[in-house]
Amino acid sequence: MRNLLYAIAIGLVGAALLHIVIILSLPSFTGRDAYTRVQAFGEANRFFPLASEGNTLAPVNDDPAMKTAVCTFSVENGPIRLFADGEVPFWSLAVYDEASNEVFSMNDRTSVSGALDTLIATPIQLIAIRKAVPAELEQSILVEMRGEEGYAVLRTFVPTQSRQEAASAFLADASCEPLTADQ
Amino acid sequence: MFRTPLLIATALAVAFGLGILSSVYALRATVGFGAIALGPWTAFPAAQTVDADPYAKAHRARDGRLLLGGAEGLTFTAATDSDNRRLVANCRYEIAGITPPARLWTLHAADRNGNPLPGANPDVPTGLNAWSALRGADGDFSIRIASSAMPGNWLAIPEGRAPFLLVMTLLDTPTAGSSGVIDLAMPGITRLDCADA
Repeated sequence: MRNLLYAIAIGLVGAALLHIVIILSLPSFTGRDAYTRVQAFGEANRFFPLASEGNTLAPVNDDPAMKTAVCTFSVENGPIRLFADGEVPFWSLAVYDEASNEVFSMNDRTSVSGALDTLIATPIQLIAIRKAVPAELEQSILVEMRGEEGYAVLRTFVPTQSRQEAASAFLADASCEPLTADQ
Repeated sequence: MFRTPLLIATALAVAFGLGILSSVYALRATVGFGAIALGPWTAFPAAQTVDADPYAKAHRARDGRLLLGGAEGLTFTAATDSDNRRLVANCRYEIAGITPPARLWTLHAADRNGNPLPGANPDVPTGLNAWSALRGADGDFSIRIASSAMPGNWLAIPEGRAPFLLVMTLLDTPTAGSSGVIDLAMPGITRLDCADA
């Protein structure tokens, strides 16, 4: 009997250890975390608007009054410039790293001129840019990326059906491209 | 003769059984620590950050949702009414009051997994927002939630008896960073009546 109690006590300690191991290691192998789902769109450096429903791995739009687009990118070979402009009542941007931790977020009121103009770069790339800021980046918001890979989520508010078209156009025109020197 | 293997088997069964069950239960029961609870509404302002606790990180990795960033807004979810009774589709509810300071807000109903619910037919209003809701003279609003049409602000939910969630997203709000200095209040959820309850 005493041995049985001893075995159960060992089992409880093991259960506590296993619980901690499962909780801590789960984010690396669920296979359906936000970054993996966003990657299901396949192509990088392009904003993909989300469908309102679907059974695919790709994320779906989960608020009927919002429209969302996502773009995966890598700053390994150079900074990424996000740009979007349009007649929408509200937009917001969030940049996440590959573990889906927020790196940066903003909305239209915190932008410089009402348009989205953001440059995402590694700390080393940013030092080079800050030394001599190119003319086209004077208005841009510079964001320091944690790690090299990540994704950007651009959302816009669609209060009424009549605003649907402008919102779709805003997301369709949004760009998420590597910054080229001759720009 | 078989006592030692039996004891080892017991220890292993307890360890794996309880370890796995408790992990699954913990991830189902909560989104993590650090919730803001205002009446029946709860929000997790730090769930998307690098400072989120391990439970929040495991939960969001399993859920795979695109969470709102700090400057974007804050999502409040309610599973019960203000009297702590579960929200079910065969009852009618009223949300009345004002939201915490925010530029805009949106409201919709979702199933227990957080997917937006369609209405009984495609033309009914399945979402309300700060622009489409009618308000009283002092800026407060009253929204009726029912599967059949209601006067005033109406949020349609499907017919049936299934439990559902109400999701209210505040866009561009200082609520997440509030240190309790501002007295925050979310609108209350009152149960009006129920069909064949």
